[in-house]
Amino acid sequence: MNVLLAVLVVGTGSLLLRVVPLLFARRLPDRVAAYAEHAGVAVLAAIVVRAVVLHQNPDLPGAPLVALTATAAGLVVAYTGRSILLAIATGGLTYAAITAALTGSL
Amino acid sequence: MSVQTPERVAASPGTRGAAQERRDGVRAMAPMLVALVPFAVVVGTAVAQSDHRLAAWLGTSTIYGGAAHLAVLDLTSAGAGWVAAAAVGLLINMRLAAFATSLVPEWRSAPVGLRLAAGVMLTDIPWALSRDRRGQRQFYLGAALTLFVAWPVMVTAGMLLGGWLAQLAVTAILPALSLGALVAPRVRARPVAFAVSASAVAALATAGLAPGVALVICAVAGVAAAAVGGGRAS
Repeated sequence: MNVLLAVLVVGTGSLLLRVVPLLFARRLPDRVAAYAEHAGVAVLAAIVVRAVVLHQNPDLPGAPLVALTATAAGLVVAYTGRSILLAIATGGLTYAAITAALTGSL
Repeated sequence: MSVQTPERVAASPGTRGAAQERRDGVRAMAPMLVALVPFAVVVGTAVAQSDHRLAAWLGTSTIYGGAAHLAVLDLTSAGAGWVAAAAVGLLINMRLAAFATSLVPEWRSAPVGLRLAAGVMLTDIPWALSRDRRGQRQFYLGAALTLFVAWPVMVTAGMLLGGWLAQLAVTAILPALSLGALVAPRVRARPVAFAVSASAVAALATAGLAPGVALVICAVAGVAAAAVGGGRAS
């Protein structure tokens, strides 16, 4: 019952969060939208940083550092304007290569 | 030089056909789906381990955010009450309000049904993809609909196929890397660089906090830095 209630409340709340600004779009000034744009980018950047800092791999000493190196490699590729898939592959392969070198497994 | 507002771009007769825009959106989303597979497997595994599988699975399309969905399932399986789990889930999904608000200038003139559809299917990756194609509503709809259909399928496959893929540590960084890859090219714009830098510092400082609270703090830091250092709009 706990799961059902939590899913219903978060699902309904999330739907309202996504839909209400667009339904009342005619009343929202562009200035607010511009600030929201920056908030969105900031949140995505924070998600990346948290994923790196909080990365865990019990078999890998210094796992956040390995995640940082791999993510940085992928982001450099993305920054240069290459395809997203290439950026993701670069990050993933960098991680796999470092892990394999340090532990002998992925 | 005339200023092309998003609404003008959307209404411009010179823009490519709607169908082509939608196809472009689908194509843009395709590689992102590959990167999301491990995350979907992690969510699917959590759904499979839940005491109430059907309720947990329903969150796939209603919560429609892997991080919030996982947090809700983790907390309820750890014995937390539904109020606490819901509060955390909603805090994590607060960012969706910022995404939706930022879309307002491009969607203001759209019919209400289309705006509703845009909102229902809104989440991180379609939003980030659409930032490079402002005013191309059909591009957004193509990308968003692709993920909206594919995500429950991927999570369900994750439920059924088990979590062997999720056990590979490399898969933990792929969803975040895909989001970062969408933001990275935009850092050339000064306000975005300020927002990202401030948010990164805030994320380091708040790493020990719960994700919902931390993300709100990072959003505030990013907006403040962009306003102070880079001007109002990117």
